[in-house]
Amino acid sequence: MKELVEYIAKSLVDDPSQVDVTEINKSSFVVLELRVAPEDMGRVIGRNGRVANAIRTLLRVPAARQGKRVNLEIV
Amino acid sequence: MSEPRFVEAVGPDVDTAIQNGLKKLDADMKDVIVEVLEESTKGFFGIGGRQAKVRLTLLAPPSRKQKPPTPAPKPAARKKARPAPAPEAELELAATPPAPDDELARVAEDTLRELLARMGIEDTRIEAYYVEAADQKETSPLVLQVLGRDLGTLIGRRGDTLSALQYITRLIVSRELQSRANIVVDVEHYKARREKRLRSLALRMAKQAVQRGRTVTLEPMPAYERRIIHLTLRDRTDVYTQSVGEGSSRKVTIVPVQNR
Repeated sequence: MKELVEYIAKSLVDDPSQVDVTEINKSSFVVLELRVAPEDMGRVIGRNGRVANAIRTLLRVPAARQGKRVNLEIV
Repeated sequence: MSEPRFVEAVGPDVDTAIQNGLKKLDADMKDVIVEVLEESTKGFFGIGGRQAKVRLTLLAPPSRKQKPPTPAPKPAARKKARPAPAPEAELELAATPPAPDDELARVAEDTLRELLARMGIEDTRIEAYYVEAADQKETSPLVLQVLGRDLGTLIGRRGDTLSALQYITRLIVSRELQSRANIVVDVEHYKARREKRLRSLALRMAKQAVQRGRTVTLEPMPAYERRIIHLTLRDRTDVYTQSVGEGSSRKVTIVPVQNR
């Protein structure tokens, strides 16, 4: 799941070197914290959060396989 | 290798367009991949008709030297006497890979493959091909058809996972190519099937609207599904369509035109 977020974020930002994803595993859910350069925040969030929500939707596919809920936070 | 790898040609029908293109390339039918860019349409009394447009891509340099020297029996005689095939046959040819080998197709396919791999979706096959645009003012979209087993999770409820996948793929590819990429991501022909159903639904509901003289409201649908309804009924003079509501509850209404 971490790799999915990383791949999408790095493909969309101007500064891929500043993309960082931390995966925090709890028993029933996973929290993914995505960090990007401040100038790139808009790119991974999108208008009305559209990009972020699309990433969240895609994350549900691997999460469902692991029987977990996933929470993407852009920090 | 400096010779053009493909040509675009027009003609009154698809078959003639292909023949014109082959002449330009000085190539044989078996040397090219045919993509039907636009089908011909008949206008009224020759007005408003559109010519068929095809793109022919050379598989290999047309020089005969390239042919393997093995004395394989040539099916050339049969090829020459080829009767003009029905346009349907050519269409099918165009809709079947070998995949188009242009930059958009390559980048788009790679991107989707990377995404699927990271989503843990394995053992899938992607077919890439161009189709005619639903709206003739637009460029032909590139379809990436994902095929495999148990891909229901990739579609999601009301196709929302598929929408997200298409959105992200378009975004990444557009950024890489620095131009808006017209890509349709489909899974197991879900969209094609859905489109067929929506078209017949549109026609049925339009009929009902006219018969009852009342506005018919459809179920809430995502944007591209509403668009199919609008496009299906666009040329009708007895009804018009309108979307009402906000966000995920936005739906199409079909309004009968009151004549007299």
